[in-house]
This record gives sequence, C-alpha cells and structure tokens, in this order.
Amino acid sequence: MSRRRFLTTSTGIAAAATAGGLLSGCAGSVSSGGSGGKTTLTIMASGTELGTPAEIKAAEKALGMKLKMVKYDLTRLTAMLTSGNAPDLVRAEGSDAPYLASHSVAQDLDDRFAKSTVLKVGDLDPVNDIWRWDGKQQGSGPRYGMAKDWSQSYMLWYNTALFDKADEPYPSDTQPLTYDKLLDVGKRLTQSGKKSKVYGLGMAGNFETFMILTTEAGGQLFNEDYSAVDFTTSEARSALSWYLELAKSGAAPTIANPDPNGWDWPTFDAGRMAISTSGYWFGGMVVTDKKIAATARLAPAPQFGSKRISTGYTGTGLWMPKAGKNKDAAWEAMEYFLGGAPAKKRAESGAGLPALKSLRSLLPKSEGFQKQAYAVQEKELSYFEVLPFTPYVRKDAVDAVINQVMPAAIKGSVPVSKLADQLNEGINKQLANGKKLIK
Amino acid sequence: MRTSRLVEAPAKPSRPSREPSGRPRGRLGARARQQERVFWLSVTPWLLGFLGLTLYPLGYALWLSLTDSDGISPNTHFIGLDNYRELLSDPVTRDTLVRTGIFVAAVVPTGIIAGLALAVLINRPIRGRGVYRTLLYLPAVFPPVGAAMAFKMLFDRDTGAANGILGFFGGGPVTWLADPYARYVLLMLTLWGCGNAMIISLAGLQDMPKELLEAARIDGANSWQSFRRITLPLLSPVIFFQVITGVIGALQSIMPMLLAANPSPAAVTSVPQGNYLYMINVFAQYLANGRFGYASALLWVLFAVILVVTALIFKVSSGAVFYNFEPETKK
Repeated sequence: MSRRRFLTTSTGIAAAATAGGLLSGCAGSVSSGGSGGKTTLTIMASGTELGTPAEIKAAEKALGMKLKMVKYDLTRLTAMLTSGNAPDLVRAEGSDAPYLASHSVAQDLDDRFAKSTVLKVGDLDPVNDIWRWDGKQQGSGPRYGMAKDWSQSYMLWYNTALFDKADEPYPSDTQPLTYDKLLDVGKRLTQSGKKSKVYGLGMAGNFETFMILTTEAGGQLFNEDYSAVDFTTSEARSALSWYLELAKSGAAPTIANPDPNGWDWPTFDAGRMAISTSGYWFGGMVVTDKKIAATARLAPAPQFGSKRISTGYTGTGLWMPKAGKNKDAAWEAMEYFLGGAPAKKRAESGAGLPALKSLRSLLPKSEGFQKQAYAVQEKELSYFEVLPFTPYVRKDAVDAVINQVMPAAIKGSVPVSKLADQLNEGINKQLANGKKLIK
Repeated sequence: MRTSRLVEAPAKPSRPSREPSGRPRGRLGARARQQERVFWLSVTPWLLGFLGLTLYPLGYALWLSLTDSDGISPNTHFIGLDNYRELLSDPVTRDTLVRTGIFVAAVVPTGIIAGLALAVLINRPIRGRGVYRTLLYLPAVFPPVGAAMAFKMLFDRDTGAANGILGFFGGGPVTWLADPYARYVLLMLTLWGCGNAMIISLAGLQDMPKELLEAARIDGANSWQSFRRITLPLLSPVIFFQVITGVIGALQSIMPMLLAANPSPAAVTSVPQGNYLYMINVFAQYLANGRFGYASALLWVLFAVILVVTALIFKVSSGAVFYNFEPETKK
C-alpha cells in the first residue's frame, strides 16, 4: 500500500470518526433527559451520603424518576460540564459556593425556595447562608445550594479514658477552652510510645484554622473584596505561631508528620487520640462502636481571642448546575433528599445537624454520649457565624499553598514572619489568577 | 567488537505486475485487495483510538494551554503564550523538573541493572528456575495501587514492619512516609517492579547465540569478560529499549500520589516535598488550583522535554547499540 493511499484513507476514517463523535455527543445530550418517558436525573455524590443503593431505589419510586448516581470526582465533573452533559445535582462544600456562583456555574435557586413547601425559607437553618452569594460577599443574597447536614467543625470530641489515664480534668460542657489551654492539655495527653503514639489533639492546620483563629483574635485574613489575604498582621501571625507550636510539639498529626490513617476517626476510635477537632457529625460514627461510645464526649469549640466563634465552614450540600437540563426534576430530588425521608433519617443518625430547623428535634438522644453531645451542641448554636470565603478560588487552591510551605516551617527552618510572607505570595497569586476569570 | 549484520536481512520480494493506475491485476490483484482490506480492518481500531484518545486530547490540551481556563467556568479567555511564560519563570516548575530528573537518573539505571542482574541469575541452569522466575516477576504484575498500599502498610509509622524491625534492634520509630524518608520509600516502590526489566533482559539473554559465548570460552575468556564483551553488546538493543521506555515512564510518574496519606486528587498537594515530582505539580494545578490552562501548558512542556530527552538518548547511544541485524529504518 502506498503512503499516499494510507494517508488518504486514514483521513477519511478520521473525518468519519470525528463526525460520529460529534453526532454521538448530540445524541447523548438529547437522551440524558429521559428514557422511556421517565426522567433520568444524574446526581453526583460521595459514597452513600444520599442513601444506600436500596434507599436510592426507594427514592426513585417516591420521585417517579430514574436516578443515576455518579461518584463525585472533580475531574469527571469538569469533563461533564465541558462536554455539555452537566449532572443535574452535585455535592460540594459550602465554602465553594461563592466560587460556583461567581463563575456562573451554579443556578440561583431563590425562586424555587420561595415557592417550596418542603424547603421553606423560614425553616432553613442559618448554616444555609453559606450557600448565599450577593455578588460581593458570601452569607447574603441569592441561594445557590443548600447544606445536606452540617456541624460546627471546631467543637471537640474527647476520650475520657485517656483524660483519666493522664489525670487531666475534662473540658467544660459550656465554657470553651482557650487555644493556649488546649495546647497545654494536648501536650500533656500525648504519649510517644515506642510502638505507637497517642496524640493529645487532632487539628487540621489549613486555611479554615487560620481564618477562625485570626477572626477570633480580632483580625481578618481577607481584604474587603476577597482578592487578597494578609498573614502578616499581628492576629494572623499569632494564629500561625500557635499552630507551629502545636505542630512542633508533636501533640497533633501535621502535614510534616501525618497520621498514617489520613484522618482522625480511625485513630480516635482506636483510643490513640485524646481530642479530635471534629464537630457534632463525629457522633454518627461514635455510635457504631460501643467501646468508644462509652468514653466519648463533646466539648465547645475552643476560643483564641476575645470573640467566641463556632463556625461550620463546610456545610456540605447540593447545588444545581446552570447547564443542567432537568431543573424542575432536579429541584424535586433536592427537596426529597434535603427535606424528605432521607433528611429525616440522617438527622436521626446523628451524623450531622440537619439543615432544616424543624428536623433538629430528631437528633438522637438515646445513648449517654448522645444526650451529653446534644446538650452541648444546643448551647453552641448561638455562637455560629459564617466566615465568608473568596469567590476567586476554591478552598483546595489556598490549602495547596499551605501544604507547600508549612512543612519547612514546622521543621523549624522558616520563621513565622517568612512563613506569613510565603503564604501571602502564594495565595495572592492564586487569587489574582482566579480574579481574571470573573470579568 | 561489532556484531552487526550477523543475520542478513531477507532480500526484498519481487513486486507483482501492475496496471498503469497502480492497481495489481488478476488473481494477484484480488489477493492484494483482500490483504488491503485485512490491513484496514486491523489498523482501523488503533487508528480510531489514536485519533480519539491521543491526537484529539493533544490538540485540546494545546488549546487549553493558551487559555486561562479553570475547567468549569464559561468565562475562559485566550491568553496566548502567557502560561508558557509563567511556567518558565515559576520556581516550582524548575524545582519539580530537577527533582524529576534526579528521580529518573536514580530509578532508570538502578531498575535496569537490578533487572539484568536478576535475569543473569535466573538464566543459569539451577533447580526450580521456573519458580524463581515466577516469584521475581510477580511484583511486576501486581497493580501499582496494590503495591503502594502494601508499602504504606510496611512503612506505617505505628504498625509497619519496617519500624517493627527497627524497634527489635532498639531503634525508635521513623516516619517513613514523610520527608526526608519518603523519597527512599518511593525509590523502593518503583524498583519493586523491576521484574519487568528482568523479563525483557531474560528474553534477550535467551536469544543470545550460544556459539559466540562458546568461542569466547575456548579462547580463554572468563565469565566477566564474556559478559562484558559479548553479552552486554548483544543485549544493548534490549537495554536501549528499557532506557527509552524507563525514562519516559519515570518522567511521567505519579507514584508519589499513591503513597500519600490521603491519596485523593484534591489532596495531591500534601505529597511530601521530596516526592513532589513534575506530574504531581501538574495534578495539583489541575485539581487543587483549578488552573487547567496552566496545567495543560505544563503537560505540553513535559511532552517537549520527553521528545528532546528521547532524541538525545537516541543520538548519544547511536554508537553504543549493536544490532545483529540492520534496523528497518536504515534500509
């Protein structure tokens, strides 16, 4: 076969393949709306957070539509949005709400909330304000999503057995520990055995941590339009110093010395972490292990400065892509999962606070630790506050900078002032790049 | 010692007679048309795969690299070569490229030498040779994710065997999966799969003309001299192949991500600095930073680096690779 003939025929096949691809793309977008008269909804969620396969079947029956559950994956979401096959509902953390709204990706849901008899605006817990964006600031304006359930993330779960062993008094159920006191307690509870280590404290050293500490100290990380951060203020530097002291003490897992389990629950469950900075939702796992349930208790979020804040930064929930093709059906599903039977079941499990005030009475109180946790949680609610995040980047992007520069600081080779400069430089570069996309 | 042209290339078959249009005539023509159909049937799936899964993504990534796309926002702008300009002045690009170069320089020769040494060992007439071959090759067929999980367990600070052994001898626990030790674990994990190199080298060893080794032995050459003067030159095409594929594979390595405490795409930035290779930065730019345009530019630069490195290796090794036949490309 001649080279010319090979190239000619190959080009023909290429053209046919391209045309075929385009056609199949069109066909895909037409059929995604329904199959055999029944609407098919594509929902992107993590694991079984919206229900087990049996519960999803029940949801299909209740909604009269087919639900195609797709595992949440940012790469896949991007591919689906780019190819014009946007999912109908997607899970996300509330901190990403300004980004999704300002980038014209998420649908404004205000009209739907106003008409809903299931997700009534008056019944929405204040945490849902995380999903609001007024074009300038998070916390007010139209709603672009709703929390599934939530927690005040910096409340403390502690193991009384480890406190007893160290002869340490338990934290108060009502008065927050100061961060300095928490650091001292964490150090005293740490046991560096030859075989395995018992951590005194589990606390992430991410942007959220520094934002909370800086705010409680009376400062702020973001400038007025959220286009830049400043870690060089005295409040931000004191937050960094506190965390570095904790990290260097070895009392908590850090990015430079990570917990092999990757997160707190397995370590806490194994009795190898005395205090975990995880909100109320941890109770949903505590109840699965009788041994830890007998010794686990909840305490208020610690306080860094004069201002007591107990935020729920995550507020994980559902949003509706603007490019979705079945918005009415998607809203029905949203009402069902966030206000119907699945929401009630989630509230009863104690794996988070319900996003509807009317469901709060369903929180579990049968076990001893559940009664204690419920009482502490009820008093904590009044200290909730939304700490607005920038619309220019997702949370992962700022945490990426922290992950990059923090290890050297923890190992002692970078002073706090230089760390602050490095954070400013890295994060502000990300913010500047992100800002260009909102024009 | 040059060993080229030990086997002569077969003479070219005479062509069937053709019509002025170039199409073969009669029964020969029918056979040629059938062969052509078989050819197209065979090559079309590959061609479609190449177009859809290689050429189109390459072109798409090239277009993305000229934009400030974040992957999901419709507000994407054409920014020309800005991403390329930025990455050339970005210290992270430089650092990760240098780190990846060191990783390649450490992993590729070590892997090939280890594979060759194992191949020489199990090429000997020893009892249970088949069992040894299987055992040594098993890690290579183990999925990388599984191997990484096994390594994470072996090197777990609290419950891993490595610290268990250290503890037995009185040593304290070591955090293997963080800096500065994580790079050594990564090297071990990468070399764990050297069974592939072993199998390729073994195939080369078994294809070796025995008469040459026999002649050398009669002439008084010892084992080392035979290995150096006959085995290695004859194996040079096989080694060359391993160098090329090894370098390309190592430049694209994402193994560090699998060793991370939380090996999710979003947590890619928590990979220890020692293991923060070029491809980890690409993943971080795509998934953590949402800079699809910039990450695509990084990929195109890596593509160019691979092309240049491969061309350099071809150039540098042209006098060191001995074929026992004339390569097709030289005809």
